[in-house]
Amino acid sequence: MLVEIFEAIVFPGVLFTIGMGFLFDWLDRKTAARMQGRIGPKITGPSGILQPLADFLKLLFKEEVIPSHADKTIFLFAPALYFLAPLLSMLFIPILGLTPIAGFEYDILAILFLLAYAAFVVAILSYSSASSFTTVATGRLVLQYVSYEIPLVLAIITAVLYTRNLSVEGIVASQSKLWNIFVMPFAFAVYIIALMAELEKPPFDIPSAKTEIVAGWLTEFSGRALSFLKLTKEVSYVFGSALAVSIFLGGPLGPMFPGVPTAMLYFVYFMVKLLAVGFLIFVLKTALARVKIGQATELFWKILTPVSLAQIILVLVLIQGGILVVS
Amino acid sequence: MSSEPTREESAGLMKYSVENLVPFGPIHPALKEPEYFKLVLEGERIVQVIPRIGYVHRGLEKAAETRPWVQNMYMFERTCGICSFVHSLCYGQAVEGLTMYEVPKRAKYIRLIIAELERIHSHLLWVGLMGHWAGFETLFMWVWRDRELVLDIVEAISGNRVHKSMNAFCGVRRDMPENMEDKIIEKMKYLAGRAQYYRGIIDTEETMLERTENIGRVSADTAEKLCAVGPMARYVGIQHDIRLNDPYAAYDEVPFSIVTRNDGDVLGLLRLRLDELIVSTELVSYAVKHLPDGPIRVKIPPIIPAGEHSAHCEAPRGEIFYYVKSTGGRTPDRVKSRQPTMANLPTALEILKGQTIADVPVVLTAIDPCFGCMDRMSFIDTETNHKWIWSGEQLRQYGINYYRKRRTKN
Repeated sequence: MLVEIFEAIVFPGVLFTIGMGFLFDWLDRKTAARMQGRIGPKITGPSGILQPLADFLKLLFKEEVIPSHADKTIFLFAPALYFLAPLLSMLFIPILGLTPIAGFEYDILAILFLLAYAAFVVAILSYSSASSFTTVATGRLVLQYVSYEIPLVLAIITAVLYTRNLSVEGIVASQSKLWNIFVMPFAFAVYIIALMAELEKPPFDIPSAKTEIVAGWLTEFSGRALSFLKLTKEVSYVFGSALAVSIFLGGPLGPMFPGVPTAMLYFVYFMVKLLAVGFLIFVLKTALARVKIGQATELFWKILTPVSLAQIILVLVLIQGGILVVS
Repeated sequence: MSSEPTREESAGLMKYSVENLVPFGPIHPALKEPEYFKLVLEGERIVQVIPRIGYVHRGLEKAAETRPWVQNMYMFERTCGICSFVHSLCYGQAVEGLTMYEVPKRAKYIRLIIAELERIHSHLLWVGLMGHWAGFETLFMWVWRDRELVLDIVEAISGNRVHKSMNAFCGVRRDMPENMEDKIIEKMKYLAGRAQYYRGIIDTEETMLERTENIGRVSADTAEKLCAVGPMARYVGIQHDIRLNDPYAAYDEVPFSIVTRNDGDVLGLLRLRLDELIVSTELVSYAVKHLPDGPIRVKIPPIIPAGEHSAHCEAPRGEIFYYVKSTGGRTPDRVKSRQPTMANLPTALEILKGQTIADVPVVLTAIDPCFGCMDRMSFIDTETNHKWIWSGEQLRQYGINYYRKRRTKN
């Protein structure tokens, strides 16, 4: 019992996820800085690794301003609701073994629901602050959500159809011979692009485009709420990458060596893959310019949705033809 | 309801509901200087833009009337923090027109070198900011690092990075440092290479193309009618460049060709400015190589003969214009200056119509705005938004009455 509680709250549960959020933030800033010919965070901790934590703590002590027009109840509580989504979703990802902390038979559906829930909460809390900038941001946010959601879900569904399994655990277990990325490379690509839209990373940082609408839906937030919203974005980042690792890259699976504890090997493999996916997104986001909302919608509906549908059909045809074997 | 018109009514905004108005500025992350634009939206599309200028009016023209001729030169240099040298050059040329002294040839070449270095630095700054406004931070960081090279050269020549204070009447204050030729030519070559590289990025980078291609289209007729100057005129194919049309400094002695394009969109502006940058690097290299010997300055008396004269120069942003009037005293009687942003703003507002809100920073900054240079005094009642125009004489009378009233009150 105590072990389960420790796993859920500390490692590899909530606190580990939050720590990974800070690590991702630091890596993101450091990679972007290196690519742009800068140094990046440097002073707080070795190579500035504690800078995200310092930023978080600093914001916690700042004054919180509530706009007079805002819907106060939602404005105060929605950040907490938003914070829950990626934290909860992370519990469905297997890290130390093949069994996640809170997995069940149809947990992919729960994850898809939590993704929709997060977008919904953001739209609500953006709308509750009732300023011109957040109003425009809400419109963009919702439009972006309806654009990226279909390709994102289709990419996940491809793996579900191939493995005939609706749980993350089952999908991971079925990849012991061949990772899904080799079966469905296009689904992986579509997932990464849709994930960047979900995380509002360039080129899809449209709902928070700072030169157009200040800070987008974050504009009116300050103090504690802002610090937690920023942290949630980073944790979503971790969760999005972790889901990509689980569905397409075989989760914590890898070659096993006798004598080394399996949990440790699983953890190392998982972390390497997670950081690789994270790094892919850091590089893409630094190398690209922001597109406009119409262009993003066009990309997702006209190109990525047909591509992901074609990927599904291709996988099904290959299974029917006996070339791919359902494991 | 009161019979007094509200602010929106008197500004002719009655037909738009308040929800459709998005304020752009005066304090906005996309604007480096405060200026206010009221955007009337239909969804994400802009149907009308109402500017309200005057937030950083500093009264330089009035201040010039109380300062000696020489001091004014360094004051006008502070009109702009980016194209500072060309302001003092233009003012200096207007004043030189009133005297009978000839500017030494070497000084003319040094003026050309500094002016072109300034153009390179200004264009690089703009290309970087364009990347920033289009959400392409990496381009911003790279371009601004290269800009440091130009600033270093300027510092080596003049001792300052931004406000060079190089100009004097009929000459320049400092000579070129010795043994710098090779270094400058080498750095110019490097910069031309970098500019080519950035042209490549802009021509091929899909996300950047999507943000700039076909954005901010304007026809040559419209641009000409709205009196666009500088790059804003050249990117629709109008041959408008004071360096060529009415050469000053040493521009009539060095070989160069101006760049014009027929794109008429923001992408065209990016290409045009980078091409111009390459021409400028060649100009600097040529001028450094062919620098004539001789004095750099002629001393002139502090009193300028009576008369009036005007001069215009090609600043990085377009044509600037200075008019001076002297009554033979130690201070000017009147100085009038016109900055390129003022001339280009009508065109910018015209091309904003029909764009989406995401294009506003890109289009508005495509003209390379410098609102601090541009701001003029206008009469506006902030309560009723009523605007009116006064002649210089009326304004003078108002000032006399105002101070008379104040004196009697005390």
